Amino acid sequence: MPDGSLNDRGIASLIEPGRVHRRVYTDPGVFELEMQRLFGRAWLFVGHSTQVPKPGDFITTDLGRQPVLMTRHHDGSVRVVLNRCTHRGIKLVAERQGNRQRLICLYHGWTFDPDGTLLRVPVDEGCAPGFKLCDFNLAKAPRVGIYRGFVFASLSPAGIAFDDWIAPMKQNIDDIVDRAPGGEIALDAGVHRYLVRANWKMQAENAVDSYHVPFSHASTVNQKGVQFSRREGDNEGAKVVDGQRTAPQWKQRRSYSVGHGHCWTSNTELKENERSSAVYDEYRRTLEAAVGKERSDWILTPRMHNSLLYPNVSFMGLNMHIRVIRPIAVDLTEVNIYPVRLLGAPEAMNERNTRLLNVTHAAASFVQSDDLEAFARAQAGLQSLQTDWVDISRGLGREEAIDPPGALRQMATDELVVRGQFRAWLDYMSEA
Amino acid sequence: MAGEYEQFLIHESTLLDERRFRDWMALFTEDGSYWVPATVGQRSPYGQTSLFYDDLELMRTRIDRLEHPLIHVQTPPSNTVHLIGSVTVEPGVPAPDPEAGLPTSDVLVLSSAITAEYRLDHTRTFVGRQRHWLRHVDGALRIVRKRVDLVNCEAAFEAIAVPV
Ligand code: FES
Ligand SMILES: [Fe+2]
Repeated sequence: MPDGSLNDRGIASLIEPGRVHRRVYTDPGVFELEMQRLFGRAWLFVGHSTQVPKPGDFITTDLGRQPVLMTRHHDGSVRVVLNRCTHRGIKLVAERQGNRQRLICLYHGWTFDPDGTLLRVPVDEGCAPGFKLCDFNLAKAPRVGIYRGFVFASLSPAGIAFDDWIAPMKQNIDDIVDRAPGGEIALDAGVHRYLVRANWKMQAENAVDSYHVPFSHASTVNQKGVQFSRREGDNEGAKVVDGQRTAPQWKQRRSYSVGHGHCWTSNTELKENERSSAVYDEYRRTLEAAVGKERSDWILTPRMHNSLLYPNVSFMGLNMHIRVIRPIAVDLTEVNIYPVRLLGAPEAMNERNTRLLNVTHAAASFVQSDDLEAFARAQAGLQSLQTDWVDISRGLGREEAIDPPGALRQMATDELVVRGQFRAWLDYMSEA
Repeated sequence: MAGEYEQFLIHESTLLDERRFRDWMALFTEDGSYWVPATVGQRSPYGQTSLFYDDLELMRTRIDRLEHPLIHVQTPPSNTVHLIGSVTVEPGVPAPDPEAGLPTSDVLVLSSAITAEYRLDHTRTFVGRQRHWLRHVDGALRIVRKRVDLVNCEAAFEAIAVPV
């Protein structure tokens, strides 16, 4: 039984091969430690470079609970700096996005460049002897990594190198970005923001959970057991249930756990040749014109349904979006969902995608809203002191080893991906 | 004059409060739509995310789901009360959002609305300005477009299951 303390042994005792202690979801002390050891160390998704196209552009976000700014500096580079004035600690920028050539603190007017360089201090004759501007630049994220415009940062100078961390998931990102005939995407079509009264891990697990779909989303499937189509030019959605049971097609899906907590699920077989509509056909022609027929066919073959770059971002290949998890408290999480805009694609195609996301993943959506209900009720149920353990044992011992070494695969309705996340969780949480 | 339209808006919100969603949908014209933007002053529902942007087909799907026994986010259902006020009427208005190709209406009715929603020990409030573009069809008023601009449309919301 885990004791009350949170030393490394206490943390390790919360995780067993097929079950985890409810405290990982409910204990504020565990949450505090996650903010330091997990969110304070891991590579976290910050934003996409298209959110700051021009010099002086910025967005604000939080890494864990630390307020940060992603900026475009005068020299065109993307920077990640702490959104905290180095004088008395004021949050420098309150807006979610905007453009400023100089960041001026509202309190005493200290003035910074977009890269965090302190330029000017009002009434500088009052500065302490030996005061040097350069000692008071905004703190930078110690490490920043960018892949195809996606900006990640680590708040720790040490730890796994960005390239090693992202390598197993590059294909999942490519699968989305390559669909843009211009080879680039933009995250500039707005955001769906929703709040969940639940621990952040509920969303991380759910992003790759195929077990819940037939039951949780029953209200979205028709008489034939088929969920409405989520793709332009595809009249039939995925077959989810067959009578009272999970459909065989659904059970064909596989999930992959590839280390560092990263994981993804494959797609059910989708009839790509039958996919057609005026908008989709035009899009396909545009892509073929850009990259050739053979490559275009390969790009449009669905390989991935959902993927998670542990811990805070999900790349969704089915209805194209980027999902960012923002923990607020042990029992409160904000989730931000950005539609992907394919640059070079017919705008009508992008508009359809954005509209579809209203239906699947807005706070008022048909799909995600039932997930939110599940997360909140899990948080409520886990208050029970009668039972300490949460079961995650489906498929335990039935994992199939695949390349690269250490990577595992099994039925997507099993819980491999949850166990993989907790393995990474324990690594982050128990290293001193 | 404003009275007739005010009565119409009260009738509409009562249908929502009574969860008579099919009757509510029947108030819309076949080319009708219901839009709740996700940004202040949003110009079009196409290029940017919205909280709701339902044409009649989507509305029907939404209502089918609301009537499904396994809609977890409405188990138990929300209890709502709408309060409609500050109703003003403007004459027939052509499409206000050319981008969106909005069909013309006979009359534009502006109002404020407050909706209280209670569910599972939790009460919350939606407050917004409403715009109804209305058309007379066979002697009855129909909604060509309903747009609701919530004061906090840019906020992070807990799940919203019923039309606000
Ligand atoms: S706190 Fe920022 S200038 Fe004083
Ligand atoms: Fe789900």
